[in-house]
Amino acid sequence: MNFTGVPLATLLQVGGVAAGVIVLFYILKLRRRPVPVPFARIWERILRDKEATSLFSQLKRILSLLLQLAILALMLLALGDPRTAQNLVEGRNVVVLIDASASMRASDVEPTRLDAAVEDVREMVRGLGSDDRLLIAQMDAAVTPLSTLTGEVSELEKALKDVRPVDARTDFARGLRFAADTLRGLPKPEIVVVSDGSLGEPVDAAGKVDLEGITLSYIHVGEGSHNAAITGFSVRRYPLDKSRYEVMLEVTNTSEQPMDVELSLYGDGDLTDVSRLQLKAKEVLPRFYPNLSGASRTLEARLALPDGARDDLPADDHAYALLPERRRSRVQVVTDGNMYLEAALLLDEYLDVTMVTPAEYPSDGEFDVTIFDNVAPVLAGKGGHTLYLNPTGENVPFKVGELVKNGDSDYALGFDEIEHKHPIVRYTALGDINIAEAHVLEGEKEDKVVAKSHKGPLLIAGRRSGNKFVALGFDVRHSDFALRIAWPLFLLNTINDFVEEDTSYISSFRTGEVWRIPAPSSAHIAKLERPDGTERVVPVKDGRAIFLGQQAGFYKLRTGAEGAEEESMFAANLSDPLESAIAPVPELKVGDQTAGEVGGFAVGVRREIWLWLLLGVVAISAIEWLTYHRRITV
Amino acid sequence: MGLLDTFRKAAAPFSRRFSYAKSEEELFDDEFQRKLEYLAMVSRRVFSGAMRAERRTKKTGSGVEFADHRNYTAGDDFRYLDWHAYQRFDRLLVRLFEEEEDLSIYLIIDSSTSMGFGDGAKLKQAKRLCAALAYVGLANLDRVTIVSATDEVSGRMPSTRGKARIFRIFKFLRTVEPDGQTDLGDALKTFVAQHKRRGLAVVLSDLYDAKGFEKGINVLRYAKFDPFVIHIVDEQDATPELRGDVRVYDCESGEEREVTVTAKVLERYKRAYEKYLAEVQRFCTKKQVSYFRADVNVPFDELILRVFRRGGFLR
Repeated sequence: MNFTGVPLATLLQVGGVAAGVIVLFYILKLRRRPVPVPFARIWERILRDKEATSLFSQLKRILSLLLQLAILALMLLALGDPRTAQNLVEGRNVVVLIDASASMRASDVEPTRLDAAVEDVREMVRGLGSDDRLLIAQMDAAVTPLSTLTGEVSELEKALKDVRPVDARTDFARGLRFAADTLRGLPKPEIVVVSDGSLGEPVDAAGKVDLEGITLSYIHVGEGSHNAAITGFSVRRYPLDKSRYEVMLEVTNTSEQPMDVELSLYGDGDLTDVSRLQLKAKEVLPRFYPNLSGASRTLEARLALPDGARDDLPADDHAYALLPERRRSRVQVVTDGNMYLEAALLLDEYLDVTMVTPAEYPSDGEFDVTIFDNVAPVLAGKGGHTLYLNPTGENVPFKVGELVKNGDSDYALGFDEIEHKHPIVRYTALGDINIAEAHVLEGEKEDKVVAKSHKGPLLIAGRRSGNKFVALGFDVRHSDFALRIAWPLFLLNTINDFVEEDTSYISSFRTGEVWRIPAPSSAHIAKLERPDGTERVVPVKDGRAIFLGQQAGFYKLRTGAEGAEEESMFAANLSDPLESAIAPVPELKVGDQTAGEVGGFAVGVRREIWLWLLLGVVAISAIEWLTYHRRITV
Repeated sequence: MGLLDTFRKAAAPFSRRFSYAKSEEELFDDEFQRKLEYLAMVSRRVFSGAMRAERRTKKTGSGVEFADHRNYTAGDDFRYLDWHAYQRFDRLLVRLFEEEEDLSIYLIIDSSTSMGFGDGAKLKQAKRLCAALAYVGLANLDRVTIVSATDEVSGRMPSTRGKARIFRIFKFLRTVEPDGQTDLGDALKTFVAQHKRRGLAVVLSDLYDAKGFEKGINVLRYAKFDPFVIHIVDEQDATPELRGDVRVYDCESGEEREVTVTAKVLERYKRAYEKYLAEVQRFCTKKQVSYFRADVNVPFDELILRVFRRGGFLR
């Protein structure tokens, strides 16, 4: 027995003094309360009888003294914090990483793998050594510490109640780095990973994670692998016929057995298509639904087994997508007449086109987009964004160079360099366009050159006073651009870009990634309503709301002042074959290190003797109290 | 301590005195006096002349007129047993005759501190009983003398007769306050020396006499008085509200004892108290002294009727 608290010598000294005081107080009887009685002789009679048993009485009083001395001894021993040699081992510092990724929602272990994991950790916590300290963290796309590094069982058990599953994959590298950073410099560090093993290689931008001598342990949960998943789901409107759309779906059988599944497609909540699929083992089956119409907003795909049963992981049997919202754009065209321009604008029925001659400009009304065709008058207000086609004169927000003619027989005038990622040239092929004559355009430094010839920029884009502009440096009639399918696409892309109907619309985001959700450029913050109904504020930067999403489903993003909020919706899906592959991995490897089994957390190991000694004090006090009040020891 | 508390503390003795005086007034209020009249009437129905002499005065009765029966009690003269009644009712009854001789009645009231213990219920009861018996005596034209005694004769009201004197008796009794130690032996020796005319000596006391209650009664017996013990008892004396470690001291002698009061101890105390009462009663019976236990919680008129019924005082 070793004393790790107050030293034994001090305890003996304190004990001697305290015992002496107790005995002294015991000897010095307390002054009793004087009470008058009418006739003391009667009391004398009964006291005479009592004195006959004084020996027994004295014994009882000695018992009372002994109980008091026993209480003192137990308290002093507790102060000494006695330990057995076994308990003198230095405490461990443990970080428990609980995998809360989508695969942990698998129900092959009742009720779910995550619940089983939490139960395993609870057992660990209850078996924590007296000097061990433990931190519980939830590991998903991010790492969330749920407790401090503590030995308090109650705090740790409370932390376990906060573990929530997500619809995202685990960033294992981030989790390990967090744990390693937490344990750096602490004695006996240990990382315990509680997972089904589908964690991937712990590598991030900083390279492989080095655990630097930290013990790695692994608690494995899960046993089943019967799962099929929707691993891809997207929808887009046809650029030239936005009333119709096409859907791409990818269904994956992650199990080793063939599966029959039933795939249902819902548009705006109504069933639009049901198909039965036979999936071979490990098969990835893409499905296209072209030329669909009917749904105006939401699309949902559901996967089920034919008998109505569920596979082991229902979380990946749903996928969500949102069709881009459509609204009418008001376009003003200032032209003396351009058949190609007018024809191209007729292709989109959602455009309200107003044709005006340069003499009639500015016309009444408010517009989203103004197209100047071969003219460049002074800009009037309420014209919105501007598209300049073959601009001339001084009233343009950029410099227009000299006329360049296609005179070089060896090197034709056309688009030699194209910024293909720019939204206004998406889906277009501009490389072989022939241009008879053009003006080289020179924008300001922050303007973007979208396409240029060897003579200089011919297509530039930029922003002035909050409005966008795009300028094309030649008359389409002096080129074969007007004869190409690229011409109306360019025109509609530009208008869509102006009115923020992005042609690069993402029908759904992928969970576990940082989303950059389109939002009004003027907003700085936005309110995001998650699929479970909870709401949080997210920052908006450069017209994008930034958020790390970990829930699948439909989200709502609101910007602007209360009462005048603009609301947009978007969808998010798990769509992760790695998470859907739920076959448990019994072994965990980090670099060259293989995780060992967890040990030293047996329930009952936490035997702090001082605690029992204090309980003894309480018990003896209770006995003393009872015997006193029942007049046994008096 | 606040100013109000200081004032209350200072005023406490006055308020106590005032309340005591008030209670003394109430002791013999109109209601009490009406009851006295009733008791006197009841006593006259039994006899019209004097006290029943034979037993009370130790004189063989000259009275020949039959008055009533009463239950036979140990010590009664067999000659007065009514054998006819025994044959008829199978009960031993003693015939009572009226005695025409007037009688001296001495009412000796214990005014020691123990009589005023607690709320003073014992002394109040003793005073009421004393007044009631005195009135009955006065109504029957007996000589009534009242004496208050502790370890001496602390007060004395000269013998008087006639109902009208009852107010003097009230006045005297109001002056009696509990103070001093009980020593009935010494006190009654003085009493005997002061009163040559023998008669009925009614002792109203709790008999808490450290030197022995027997002494006082024996003094009366030896001096040819006819002692009648009315033992004033209070239930609170049997069940004191004590708990824990206390130092009990005698309210008269100041004698101290340390005791740890438990339920068991209280139970033993009660048994000892009852044993003490039994001892008193046994002594009186043994010495042919009339004994009557008067509980302070029983109304005095009921007690007086019980005294009448039980016999020894009137019949």
